[in-house]
Amino acid sequence: MIYLDNGATSFHKPPQVRRAVLNAMTSCANPGRGGYAAARKADRMLFATRQTAAGLFGCQPEQVVLTNNCTHGLNIAIRSLIKPGMKVAVSGFEHNSVVRPLYALGAEVIVFGKKLFDQQDTLYRFAKALDKGAQAAVFTHVSNVFGYILPVEEIAALCVRRGIPFILDAAQSAGSLDVNLEKLGAKFIAMPGHKGLLGPQGTGLLLCADGGEPLLQGGTGTASLEKTMPQELPERLEAGTMNVPGYAGLNAGMEYVRRTGIENLFCREHRQCMACAEGLKRLGMQVFSGPHQAATVSFVPKMDCVDAAQILARQGIAVRAGLHCAPLAHESAGTLQTGTVRVSFGHDASPEQTAAFLKRAAKLVR
Amino acid sequence: MEKYMITFRSVTYAQRGEAVLRSAGFRCALGRTPRWMEEQGCGYALRLTCPEIAPVQQLLRREKLSWRRIYEQKEDGTMEVLEL
Repeated sequence: MIYLDNGATSFHKPPQVRRAVLNAMTSCANPGRGGYAAARKADRMLFATRQTAAGLFGCQPEQVVLTNNCTHGLNIAIRSLIKPGMKVAVSGFEHNSVVRPLYALGAEVIVFGKKLFDQQDTLYRFAKALDKGAQAAVFTHVSNVFGYILPVEEIAALCVRRGIPFILDAAQSAGSLDVNLEKLGAKFIAMPGHKGLLGPQGTGLLLCADGGEPLLQGGTGTASLEKTMPQELPERLEAGTMNVPGYAGLNAGMEYVRRTGIENLFCREHRQCMACAEGLKRLGMQVFSGPHQAATVSFVPKMDCVDAAQILARQGIAVRAGLHCAPLAHESAGTLQTGTVRVSFGHDASPEQTAAFLKRAAKLVR
Repeated sequence: MEKYMITFRSVTYAQRGEAVLRSAGFRCALGRTPRWMEEQGCGYALRLTCPEIAPVQQLLRREKLSWRRIYEQKEDGTMEVLEL
């Protein structure tokens, strides 16, 4: 199988990730629940994961909350920061993991920046959203549908200057672009563990500047007599038994990313994405490509996008078709009615992979 | 050399405290806080042996690592909370 659905999850994990999961399953008990060797080993494993994440993302280990996925982290962050009725600026490329929690809370959503690959316009529209009274902002780093890299450093700087707290959704950027809690000045940054960080599914990270409100209440292994969750991070936001094998795998994945180099990974993925976009254009597809694009490209085939993805699947190509849980992004790009076929590259991107994909994609137009 | 025990409410703070102290050359061990020391329930503690506690406190403060209490071991082996 030629796997090109890394926007959903990375599939071919480095072998050390699998080894770390297996090792944790056979040697780690419940962390924070005992003083014996297997429980202590689990404690150390979780701390090592926090340390690795802290090194990659510019924060301290206690600011790293281990979550089930990016959506979990975003829900904690949004519930912590946003109050009902608050005016919240969101980009025109948000995933439902941002949009739905905001609507569920009764926030007043102000959408800014709907032009693909135009960072100047995005920034200008964001400033306008602040002028309209936005009290907080939630925005993605990279569109999960189109791969558009938003100007998050500039948006963050504007937020800091105006005293606007913000949440960054790094679902598509963690592991391939610089993401730094301290430098950006974010209140929260949420990311999955299983995409660019190459960990197992069921893992994620929430980086917290200072505190947060628990989504779940329960045991933390500390301050057991208190009726409320402890004030200290990360335990405040982590109730119940942790996914130790998953986080062991995530730690191994992050170590792989650190050793390979985030820039190197980006270059490898981006190069293939651009080659793929050019190839699709030559085939006469409607391709969404431009400057400030990461490792994801969407196209509209000359048939129903789901049918096209199915034809590709029968030839061993794994891509995703439809709305990609981001109707707002499709509304912005004008593809709400058709949807798109999304091709998203990962750490194992190669010219051979791209060529094999394009060879099969050519059959879609015959 | 004196023996001390520093208690923490958070296992993660205790773990970072252990890492910080070890990298500064202090010998310490992380474990569960004895039940009698922790009226709020379970916690974690660092046991360490050093000539005086002040440099340890300075280091932890510099790293913004808040602790709960510091105990000192008396000659008869009992632990007594230090009034600091």
